[in-house]
Amino acid sequence: MKFGKRLKQQIEESLPAWRDKFLSYKELKKLVRQISSAESCVEYGKADAEAEFVHLLNNEIDKFNVFFMEQEEDFIIRHKELQQRIKRVIETWGPNGTKPSEAEYKDEMAKIRKDIVNFHGEMVLLVNYSNINYTGLAKILKKYDKRTGGLLRLPFIQKVLQQPFFITDLVSKLVKECENIIDEVFPVEQEDEEEIVKEQREAITVAGKGIFRNTVAALLSMQEIRRGSSTYGHFSLPPMDLPDSDLIHSFQLNSPIPIV
Amino acid sequence: MPSSFLALTSFKDKYSTSPSSFQVSSGREVMENSVSLQESSLAPSNGTLGNSSLSPSIVTDHMCASALPHVQHSHNPAFISQSSRDLASLLPLDASFSQSTASLIHTQGNKDVSWSLDRLQMFLDFPENTPAPNQLVESSTSVLASEDHNKKTNWQEWADDLINVVDPDWSKILDNTNVLNPRVELPKPSGDISKQQPQFHQNQLVPHGEFSSHAYPSSTAPPTKPRMRWTPELHEAFLEAVNQLGGSERATPKGILKLMNVEGLTIYHVKSHLQKYRTARYMPETSEGTSEKRITSIEEMKSIDLKTSIGITEALRLQVEVQKQLHEQLEIQRNLQLRIEEQGRYLQMMFEKQKKVEDEKGGAPSSASDDLLAPLPGSKHPPCNNGKSDSEALEQDHSRTGIGPGNAGTNEDKSSSGVSTKQKMPETESTVHDESGFSVSKRARTEK
Repeated sequence: MKFGKRLKQQIEESLPAWRDKFLSYKELKKLVRQISSAESCVEYGKADAEAEFVHLLNNEIDKFNVFFMEQEEDFIIRHKELQQRIKRVIETWGPNGTKPSEAEYKDEMAKIRKDIVNFHGEMVLLVNYSNINYTGLAKILKKYDKRTGGLLRLPFIQKVLQQPFFITDLVSKLVKECENIIDEVFPVEQEDEEEIVKEQREAITVAGKGIFRNTVAALLSMQEIRRGSSTYGHFSLPPMDLPDSDLIHSFQLNSPIPIV
Repeated sequence: MPSSFLALTSFKDKYSTSPSSFQVSSGREVMENSVSLQESSLAPSNGTLGNSSLSPSIVTDHMCASALPHVQHSHNPAFISQSSRDLASLLPLDASFSQSTASLIHTQGNKDVSWSLDRLQMFLDFPENTPAPNQLVESSTSVLASEDHNKKTNWQEWADDLINVVDPDWSKILDNTNVLNPRVELPKPSGDISKQQPQFHQNQLVPHGEFSSHAYPSSTAPPTKPRMRWTPELHEAFLEAVNQLGGSERATPKGILKLMNVEGLTIYHVKSHLQKYRTARYMPETSEGTSEKRITSIEEMKSIDLKTSIGITEALRLQVEVQKQLHEQLEIQRNLQLRIEEQGRYLQMMFEKQKKVEDEKGGAPSSASDDLLAPLPGSKHPPCNNGKSDSEALEQDHSRTGIGPGNAGTNEDKSSSGVSTKQKMPETESTVHDESGFSVSKRARTEK
């Protein structure tokens, strides 16, 4: 149930529009339990139950695919638009633009920076979405095989590997491009160590916000899930190596105190 | 007031259970009915599907999208760095902090990026420089990536197999799904068309491993909303067409479709894409972050206050770092998952080959294999976990087919998941044997 709980947590923390797009892990688990307890030795009955299970899994996968590709399309568009926007700002209010204005430029750039960082985060969250659903599927299939003695897992998971929602290469590429843009447009200042440490402390408090919080939760969830389980086997992932784990743990703040 | 923000209160779990929208049909009868419905509905539609001719690669068509006009202007590096320094106005605060913070900062690296004209051009032109659509690196599954905007599915065939099977004949089903045929995918129940968006139904030539060319399907049986997978290149072509037609407001889906001239692209695709584009374009602030909409008013107030008092730059920088890390971990995890399954598949194949060899040898399978295996030298493979003699025999099967030493070596080099993959096979097989007995003929169905 550890995964189920983790999944639920992540769903809660995710963007509202996403919440019903995740794997219905609990329901599928119930079904597996149902099947394994109710099943007779009759071959027919078993095949039937399996067909039903597969049907539900396929529905889930369709759900993932549709949602994933929709988001991906959005990201492609927004990625391009961000670049255009940056260009426009530079061309207009930049020092060599048509109406150079340091104030406007700064202002706009600040907005862009926030947007682009959030955009980056959203894309990463989509990759996370893909991954956590895959993990859930792998787990539920393993459960199915274990409890019903079926051999559904291996062939089915091969299909899953080829599903659009699992093939996240494009989104990953966009993420990296976005990182490049961020590095280019917002170069990191070299500051002395003490200042940097202070800045970091302050920045921690901002972690309460939307996407950032979500990514922190996702990262920690991942670590938890891979911590090693009782059913650790050869198809299981090794424990995660997460540098700065302490830092990330410290991000787990509750919602910010309202300003009165 | 700032200090109040620093209160590192523990994270409380205030969740309410999120209602799942997943509706599980209760009872088998319902499922049976729907299954039989699907059976009947699948049959006719199966005939209409597929056998569309393979069309040549569409990629080339929209590669004629002209390159973005290069940004021609120079920058004063000093100006930029000045402004970013201004952005980062910080208030000193004291709070205890872990050492990992410092390491995090240092891992960011020293980005002494000089703001040169070259770099600016580079990042603006970045998407232009990306290679042709072949995104995927891994093996034969690259088909999906090379398909710019189509889904490869073999729904009907697979669904037929699965649903019509009473006594699961996995070998029959899986004939379509051997390693050489990576494009066969999960079925989509065509009965759910109204609810979901049907995928593009891929050409039935797929099973014969012809995945080099890009196959774009003709209009599928369900005419409503086939889903397409957009790519940046395709989007470029779209933009090109839109600009030629006078901008996003004036361009019509029909006109765009014609200009783009991409086979397999329907007006519906263009329409919905245009809609998305218009939204993104004319609401840049809100569309960039759908997150913005969901920030509560309280958080908004806080964020405004933070902007002025605390280093928003720093906050954003940190955010990017965390996000980068998450992404990195996800990529690692995904690769691991792929490798694990690949290995499992490979072992299964080896196992099947071994079985075939035994089959051909004929005679009583059990005794034959036992006899054959008895004099086997022990190879350095990890010991089998379960003590079933059957599985041990199978394990030695593996070593005999040459998986043993070489593989064991590589397995041990990899993570523990790799090593134990070999053990998994006998374990799984033993489960099967419990049910069906150790008979080679039956083992044909256990092809995983």
